[in-house]
Amino acid sequence: MSRLHIADTGLFVAMGQPSNSRYQAVRRFARRNDVTFVLPERVYEELTVDDPEVEDVPVDAAIDEGWATVASSLEFSEPVVSRAMDGVQRYIANADDRPADDVERADAALAALAAQHLSTGAASAVYIYTTDIAAGEGAETVLASEGYGDSVTFVNGFRFIEDLVAGDS
Amino acid sequence: MSRTSNRADGDIVQDFLSVADLLEEPQLAQLYAYLAREGEATVQNVMDDLELAQGTAYSYVNRLVDAGVVDVTDDEQPRRYAAREIDLTVTTAAGDREYTITPALIDAVGRRETDADIDTYIDRHGVAGLATALTYAVARERGEVTHRLMADDLDISPLAAEMILQALRPVVHEHYEIEEAGAGLEELAIDGDGADDA
Repeated sequence: MSRLHIADTGLFVAMGQPSNSRYQAVRRFARRNDVTFVLPERVYEELTVDDPEVEDVPVDAAIDEGWATVASSLEFSEPVVSRAMDGVQRYIANADDRPADDVERADAALAALAAQHLSTGAASAVYIYTTDIAAGEGAETVLASEGYGDSVTFVNGFRFIEDLVAGDS
Repeated sequence: MSRTSNRADGDIVQDFLSVADLLEEPQLAQLYAYLAREGEATVQNVMDDLELAQGTAYSYVNRLVDAGVVDVTDDEQPRRYAAREIDLTVTTAAGDREYTITPALIDAVGRRETDADIDTYIDRHGVAGLATALTYAVARERGEVTHRLMADDLDISPLAAEMILQALRPVVHEHYEIEEAGAGLEELAIDGDGADDA
Protein backbone atom coordinates (compact mmCIF):
# COMPACT_ATOMS: atom_id res chain seq x y z
CA MET A 1 0.00 0.00 0.00
CA SER A 2 1.58 3.27 -1.01
CA ARG A 3 0.90 6.35 1.00
CA LEU A 4 1.06 9.95 -0.09
CA HIS A 5 1.70 12.68 2.50
CA ILE A 6 0.62 16.13 1.28
CA ALA A 7 1.75 19.11 3.35
CA ASP A 8 0.22 22.59 3.44
CA THR A 9 1.92 25.89 4.31
CA GLY A 10 0.78 25.82 7.93
CA LEU A 11 2.62 22.58 8.73
CA PHE A 12 5.95 24.11 7.78
CA VAL A 13 5.23 27.37 9.57
CA ALA A 14 4.27 25.46 12.73
CA MET A 15 7.53 23.50 12.73
CA GLY A 16 9.65 26.64 13.08
CA GLN A 17 13.38 26.75 12.41
CA PRO A 18 15.63 23.64 12.20
CA SER A 19 16.94 24.40 15.71
CA ASN A 20 13.38 24.05 17.03
CA SER A 21 12.24 20.83 18.72
CA ARG A 22 9.07 20.84 16.60
CA TYR A 23 11.05 20.87 13.35
CA GLN A 24 13.30 18.09 14.66
CA ALA A 25 10.33 15.98 15.78
CA VAL A 26 8.73 16.14 12.33
CA ARG A 27 12.04 15.35 10.63
CA ARG A 28 12.54 12.37 12.95
CA PHE A 29 9.00 11.15 12.17
CA ALA A 30 9.65 11.44 8.44
CA ARG A 31 12.95 9.58 8.60
CA ARG A 32 11.74 6.79 10.86
CA ASN A 33 8.68 6.13 8.77
CA ASP A 34 10.23 6.76 5.37
CA VAL A 35 7.81 9.61 4.76
CA THR A 36 8.38 12.36 2.21
CA PHE A 37 6.05 15.34 2.49
CA VAL A 38 4.84 16.47 -0.91
CA LEU A 39 4.04 20.16 -1.38
CA PRO A 40 1.74 21.40 -4.13
CA GLU A 41 3.57 24.00 -6.23
CA ARG A 42 1.38 26.81 -4.91
CA VAL A 43 2.25 25.86 -1.33
CA TYR A 44 5.97 25.95 -2.11
CA GLU A 45 5.54 29.38 -3.71
CA GLU A 46 3.74 30.64 -0.61
CA LEU A 47 6.46 29.37 1.70
CA THR A 48 9.29 30.91 -0.31
CA VAL A 49 7.71 34.32 -0.92
CA ASP A 50 10.01 37.28 -0.41
CA ASP A 51 8.11 39.11 2.34
CA PRO A 52 10.21 41.36 4.59
CA GLU A 53 7.40 41.23 7.13
CA VAL A 54 7.96 37.59 8.03
CA GLU A 55 10.81 35.28 8.89
CA ASP A 56 11.93 32.78 6.22
CA VAL A 57 10.48 29.28 6.52
CA PRO A 58 13.14 26.55 6.17
CA VAL A 59 11.29 24.52 3.54
CA ASP A 60 14.38 24.35 1.31
CA ALA A 61 16.31 22.84 4.23
CA ALA A 62 13.72 20.05 4.48
CA ILE A 63 13.91 19.49 0.71
CA ASP A 64 17.73 19.36 0.85
CA GLU A 65 17.49 16.90 3.73
CA GLY A 66 15.32 14.71 1.54
CA TRP A 67 12.08 14.54 3.52
CA ALA A 68 10.10 17.12 1.55
CA THR A 69 9.57 17.60 -2.16
CA VAL A 70 7.57 19.78 -4.52
CA ALA A 71 4.86 18.09 -6.62
CA SER A 72 4.84 18.44 -10.37
CA SER A 73 2.02 20.47 -11.93
CA LEU A 74 -1.54 19.26 -11.49
CA GLU A 75 -3.08 17.44 -14.42
CA PHE A 76 -6.31 19.31 -14.94
CA SER A 77 -7.07 17.22 -18.02
CA GLU A 78 -8.02 14.47 -15.55
CA PRO A 79 -11.71 15.12 -14.84
CA VAL A 80 -11.43 13.99 -11.21
CA VAL A 81 -8.67 16.56 -10.58
CA SER A 82 -10.82 19.46 -11.81
CA ARG A 83 -13.85 18.11 -9.95
CA ALA A 84 -11.87 17.93 -6.69
CA MET A 85 -10.60 21.46 -7.27
CA ASP A 86 -14.07 22.89 -7.93
CA GLY A 87 -15.63 20.87 -5.13
CA VAL A 88 -13.26 22.15 -2.45
CA GLN A 89 -13.57 25.73 -3.67
CA ARG A 90 -17.34 25.41 -3.32
CA TYR A 91 -17.02 23.78 0.11
CA ILE A 92 -14.83 26.58 1.48
CA ALA A 93 -16.98 29.26 -0.14
CA ASN A 94 -20.04 27.79 1.59
CA ALA A 95 -18.29 27.70 4.95
CA ASP A 96 -17.62 31.42 4.71
CA ASP A 97 -20.65 32.48 2.72
CA ARG A 98 -18.79 33.94 -0.23
CA PRO A 99 -18.68 33.23 -3.99
CA ALA A 100 -16.66 30.12 -4.96
CA ASP A 101 -14.61 32.22 -7.42
CA ASP A 102 -13.18 34.14 -4.46
CA VAL A 103 -11.64 31.03 -2.96
CA GLU A 104 -7.92 30.70 -3.51
CA ARG A 105 -7.07 27.75 -5.74
CA ALA A 106 -4.16 26.79 -3.50
CA ASP A 107 -6.70 25.77 -0.84
CA ALA A 108 -8.16 23.29 -3.30
CA ALA A 109 -4.82 22.15 -4.73
CA LEU A 110 -4.30 19.85 -1.72
CA ALA A 111 -7.41 17.83 -2.61
CA ALA A 112 -6.71 17.99 -6.34
CA LEU A 113 -3.24 16.53 -5.84
CA ALA A 114 -4.74 13.76 -3.69
CA ALA A 115 -7.36 13.00 -6.36
CA GLN A 116 -4.71 12.79 -9.05
CA HIS A 117 -2.67 10.20 -7.15
CA LEU A 118 -5.67 8.16 -6.02
CA SER A 119 -7.29 8.02 -9.46
CA THR A 120 -4.13 6.81 -11.19
CA GLY A 121 -3.45 4.30 -8.42
CA ALA A 122 -0.12 5.98 -7.63
CA ALA A 123 -1.31 6.11 -4.02
CA SER A 124 -3.85 4.06 -2.13
CA ALA A 125 -3.93 6.24 0.98
CA VAL A 126 -3.48 10.00 1.22
CA TYR A 127 -2.80 12.11 4.30
CA ILE A 128 -3.35 15.85 4.06
CA TYR A 129 -1.48 17.86 6.72
CA THR A 130 -2.93 21.34 7.05
CA THR A 131 -3.66 23.96 9.69
CA ASP A 132 -6.71 25.20 7.74
CA ILE A 133 -9.59 23.11 9.02
CA ALA A 134 -11.84 24.27 6.17
CA ALA A 135 -9.31 23.04 3.59
CA GLY A 136 -8.76 19.70 5.37
CA GLU A 137 -12.43 18.96 5.96
CA GLY A 138 -13.29 20.17 2.47
CA ALA A 139 -10.78 17.74 0.97
CA GLU A 140 -12.15 14.83 3.01
CA THR A 141 -15.74 15.64 2.10
CA VAL A 142 -15.17 16.14 -1.61
CA LEU A 143 -12.93 13.10 -2.04
CA ALA A 144 -15.46 10.97 -0.13
CA SER A 145 -18.04 11.99 -2.73
CA GLU A 146 -15.63 10.70 -5.38
CA GLY A 147 -15.54 7.33 -3.61
CA TYR A 148 -12.24 7.85 -1.78
CA GLY A 149 -13.74 8.27 1.69
CA ASP A 150 -11.62 5.54 3.25
CA SER A 151 -8.44 6.62 1.53
CA VAL A 152 -8.13 10.24 2.66
CA THR A 153 -7.25 11.55 6.12
CA PHE A 154 -7.14 15.21 7.12
CA VAL A 155 -4.33 15.50 9.65
CA ASN A 156 -4.53 18.60 11.86
CA GLY A 157 -1.01 20.03 11.57
CA PHE A 158 -1.02 21.45 15.09
CA ARG A 159 -2.25 18.24 16.72
CA PHE A 160 0.23 16.19 14.70
CA ILE A 161 3.21 18.25 15.86
CA GLU A 162 1.99 18.49 19.46
CA ASP A 163 1.60 14.70 19.56
CA LEU A 164 5.08 14.17 18.13
CA VAL A 165 6.72 16.59 20.57
CA ALA A 166 4.81 15.09 23.52
CA GLY A 167 5.95 11.61 22.45
CA ASP A 168 9.57 12.74 22.31
CA SER A 169 9.71 14.22 25.78
CA MET B 1 -18.74 47.74 31.08
CA SER B 2 -20.35 47.30 27.73
CA ARG B 3 -20.64 50.62 26.00
CA THR B 4 -20.10 51.99 22.58
CA SER B 5 -18.07 54.95 21.53
CA ASN B 6 -21.01 56.81 20.04
CA ARG B 7 -22.56 57.48 23.45
CA ALA B 8 -21.37 60.97 24.15
CA ASP B 9 -20.95 61.12 27.90
CA GLY B 10 -17.93 61.62 30.11
CA ASP B 11 -17.75 57.96 31.11
CA ILE B 12 -16.90 56.99 27.59
CA VAL B 13 -13.89 59.27 27.51
CA GLN B 14 -12.77 57.76 30.82
CA ASP B 15 -13.16 54.18 29.53
CA PHE B 16 -11.60 55.04 26.26
CA LEU B 17 -8.45 56.44 27.82
CA SER B 18 -8.06 53.64 30.32
CA VAL B 19 -8.48 50.87 27.80
CA ALA B 20 -6.21 52.69 25.39
CA ASP B 21 -3.58 52.67 28.15
CA LEU B 22 -3.98 48.93 28.45
CA LEU B 23 -3.32 48.46 24.78
CA GLU B 24 -0.35 50.81 24.77
CA GLU B 25 1.38 49.01 27.62
CA PRO B 26 1.79 45.27 27.08
CA GLN B 27 2.68 44.70 30.75
CA LEU B 28 -0.67 46.14 31.83
CA ALA B 29 -2.44 44.10 29.16
CA GLN B 30 -0.64 40.98 30.34
CA LEU B 31 -1.71 41.64 33.95
CA TYR B 32 -5.31 42.30 32.92
CA ALA B 33 -5.37 39.04 30.90
CA TYR B 34 -3.91 37.20 33.89
CA LEU B 35 -6.63 38.50 36.23
CA ALA B 36 -9.34 37.70 33.65
CA ARG B 37 -8.01 34.15 33.41
CA GLU B 38 -7.57 33.58 37.15
CA GLY B 39 -10.89 35.09 38.21
CA GLU B 40 -9.40 36.55 41.39
CA ALA B 41 -5.88 37.10 42.63
CA THR B 42 -3.86 38.86 45.32
CA VAL B 43 -0.81 41.02 44.65
CA GLN B 44 1.27 38.16 46.03
CA ASN B 45 -0.25 35.84 43.36
CA VAL B 46 0.60 38.42 40.70
CA MET B 47 4.19 38.67 41.93
CA ASP B 48 4.60 34.89 41.95
CA ASP B 49 2.89 34.04 38.68
CA LEU B 50 4.06 36.96 36.54
CA GLU B 51 7.44 37.24 38.23
CA LEU B 52 7.04 40.90 39.09
CA ALA B 53 8.77 42.77 41.90
CA GLN B 54 6.47 43.87 44.74
CA GLY B 55 6.63 47.57 43.88
CA THR B 56 5.93 46.93 40.21
CA ALA B 57 3.05 44.58 40.97
CA TYR B 58 1.36 47.11 43.29
CA SER B 59 1.89 49.93 40.83
CA TYR B 60 0.38 47.96 37.91
CA VAL B 61 -2.59 46.69 39.93
CA ASN B 62 -3.34 50.18 41.21
CA ARG B 63 -3.20 51.65 37.73
CA LEU B 64 -5.69 49.06 36.51
CA VAL B 65 -7.97 49.81 39.47
CA ASP B 66 -7.70 53.56 38.86
CA ALA B 67 -8.49 52.97 35.21
CA GLY B 68 -11.66 51.13 36.23
CA VAL B 69 -10.87 47.85 34.47
CA VAL B 70 -10.03 45.94 37.67
CA ASP B 71 -12.12 45.78 40.85
CA VAL B 72 -11.16 45.11 44.45
CA THR B 73 -13.39 42.14 45.26
CA ASP B 74 -12.37 41.69 48.89
CA ASP B 75 -11.15 44.60 50.96
CA GLU B 76 -9.83 42.37 53.77
CA GLN B 77 -6.04 41.94 53.72
CA PRO B 78 -4.70 40.57 51.52
CA ARG B 79 -6.93 42.34 49.03
CA ARG B 80 -8.22 40.34 46.12
CA TYR B 81 -8.58 41.74 42.62
CA ALA B 82 -10.65 40.72 39.61
CA ALA B 83 -10.81 41.94 36.00
CA ARG B 84 -14.00 43.68 34.84
CA GLU B 85 -15.55 42.56 31.57
CA ILE B 86 -14.50 44.85 28.79
CA ASP B 87 -16.49 44.97 25.59
CA LEU B 88 -15.96 48.35 24.09
CA THR B 89 -16.27 49.38 20.50
CA VAL B 90 -13.85 52.08 19.49
CA THR B 91 -13.12 53.97 16.32
CA THR B 92 -9.55 54.35 15.12
CA ALA B 93 -7.91 57.76 15.32
CA ALA B 94 -8.25 58.13 11.58
CA GLY B 95 -11.96 57.45 12.00
CA ASP B 96 -12.02 54.91 9.20
CA ARG B 97 -12.47 51.68 11.16
CA GLU B 98 -14.19 50.31 14.20
CA TYR B 99 -13.05 47.45 16.37
CA THR B 100 -14.07 45.91 19.66
CA ILE B 101 -11.75 45.67 22.62
CA THR B 102 -12.34 42.33 24.30
CA PRO B 103 -10.40 40.37 26.93
CA ALA B 104 -9.06 38.19 24.09
CA LEU B 105 -7.69 41.23 22.26
CA ILE B 106 -6.08 42.58 25.43
CA ASP B 107 -4.55 39.15 26.03
CA ALA B 108 -3.19 39.12 22.47
CA VAL B 109 -1.66 42.58 22.88
CA GLY B 110 -0.12 41.49 26.20
CA ARG B 111 1.68 38.71 24.38
CA ARG B 112 3.63 41.10 22.14
CA GLU B 113 6.27 41.17 24.88
CA THR B 114 7.05 37.51 24.36
CA ASP B 115 5.87 36.85 20.79
CA ALA B 116 7.86 38.46 17.98
CA ASP B 117 5.18 37.72 15.35
CA ILE B 118 2.48 39.54 17.32
CA ASP B 119 4.87 42.42 18.04
CA THR B 120 5.76 42.83 14.36
CA TYR B 121 2.13 42.60 13.30
CA ILE B 122 1.07 45.38 15.71
CA ASP B 123 3.97 47.55 14.51
CA ARG B 124 2.78 47.15 10.92
CA HIS B 125 -0.99 47.04 11.26
CA GLY B 126 -1.75 48.62 14.64
CA VAL B 127 -3.98 47.26 17.38
CA ALA B 128 -6.95 47.70 15.04
CA GLY B 129 -5.21 45.42 12.54
CA LEU B 130 -4.54 42.87 15.26
CA ALA B 131 -8.23 42.98 16.22
CA THR B 132 -9.10 42.11 12.63
CA ALA B 133 -6.53 39.29 12.56
CA LEU B 134 -7.99 37.92 15.79
CA THR B 135 -11.43 37.76 14.16
CA TYR B 136 -9.92 35.71 11.32
CA ALA B 137 -8.06 33.50 13.81
CA VAL B 138 -11.32 32.58 15.54
CA ALA B 139 -13.07 31.90 12.21
CA ARG B 140 -10.15 29.81 10.98
CA GLU B 141 -10.10 27.62 14.12
CA ARG B 142 -13.83 27.09 13.57
CA GLY B 143 -13.20 25.94 9.99
CA GLU B 144 -14.93 28.93 8.40
CA VAL B 145 -12.00 30.61 6.69
CA THR B 146 -8.48 29.77 5.55
CA HIS B 147 -5.22 31.70 5.80
CA ARG B 148 -5.41 32.30 2.06
CA LEU B 149 -8.82 33.96 2.24
CA MET B 150 -7.54 36.21 5.03
CA ALA B 151 -4.49 37.09 2.92
CA ASP B 152 -6.73 37.95 -0.04
CA ASP B 153 -9.10 40.05 2.05
CA LEU B 154 -6.36 42.01 3.81
CA ASP B 155 -3.92 42.18 0.90
CA ILE B 156 -1.04 40.57 2.79
CA SER B 157 0.99 37.52 1.75
CA PRO B 158 -0.49 34.10 2.63
CA LEU B 159 2.68 33.43 4.63
CA ALA B 160 2.22 36.58 6.73
CA ALA B 161 -1.41 35.58 7.31
CA GLU B 162 -0.42 32.06 8.40
CA MET B 163 2.23 33.45 10.79
CA ILE B 164 -0.15 35.76 12.67
CA LEU B 165 -2.94 33.15 12.69
CA GLN B 166 -0.57 30.69 14.34
CA ALA B 167 0.66 33.31 16.82
CA LEU B 168 -2.94 34.08 17.80
CA ARG B 169 -4.07 30.46 18.02
CA PRO B 170 -3.29 30.07 21.78
CA VAL B 171 -5.35 33.22 22.48
CA VAL B 172 -8.28 31.81 20.50
CA HIS B 173 -8.17 28.50 22.37
CA GLU B 174 -7.92 30.34 25.71
CA HIS B 175 -10.96 32.55 25.15
CA TYR B 176 -13.29 30.68 22.79
CA GLU B 177 -14.88 27.25 22.67
CA ILE B 178 -13.18 25.44 19.79
CA GLU B 179 -13.98 21.90 18.75
CA GLU B 180 -11.03 19.73 17.88
CA ALA B 181 -10.86 18.92 14.16
CA GLY B 182 -8.82 16.54 12.03
CA ALA B 183 -6.64 13.61 12.97
CA GLY B 184 -3.66 13.59 15.30
CA LEU B 185 -0.76 11.19 15.36
CA GLU B 186 -2.85 8.34 16.84
CA GLU B 187 -5.29 8.23 13.94
CA LEU B 188 -2.46 8.24 11.42
CA ALA B 189 -1.92 4.51 11.78
CA ILE B 190 1.78 5.20 11.40
CA ASP B 191 4.12 4.48 14.22
CA GLY B 192 5.36 7.88 15.33
CA ASP B 193 8.00 6.42 17.54
CA GLY B 194 9.10 3.36 15.63
CA ALA B 195 12.71 2.60 14.77
CA ASP B 196 15.73 4.02 16.52
CA ASP B 197 16.72 7.55 15.81
CA ALA B 198 19.02 7.74 12.81
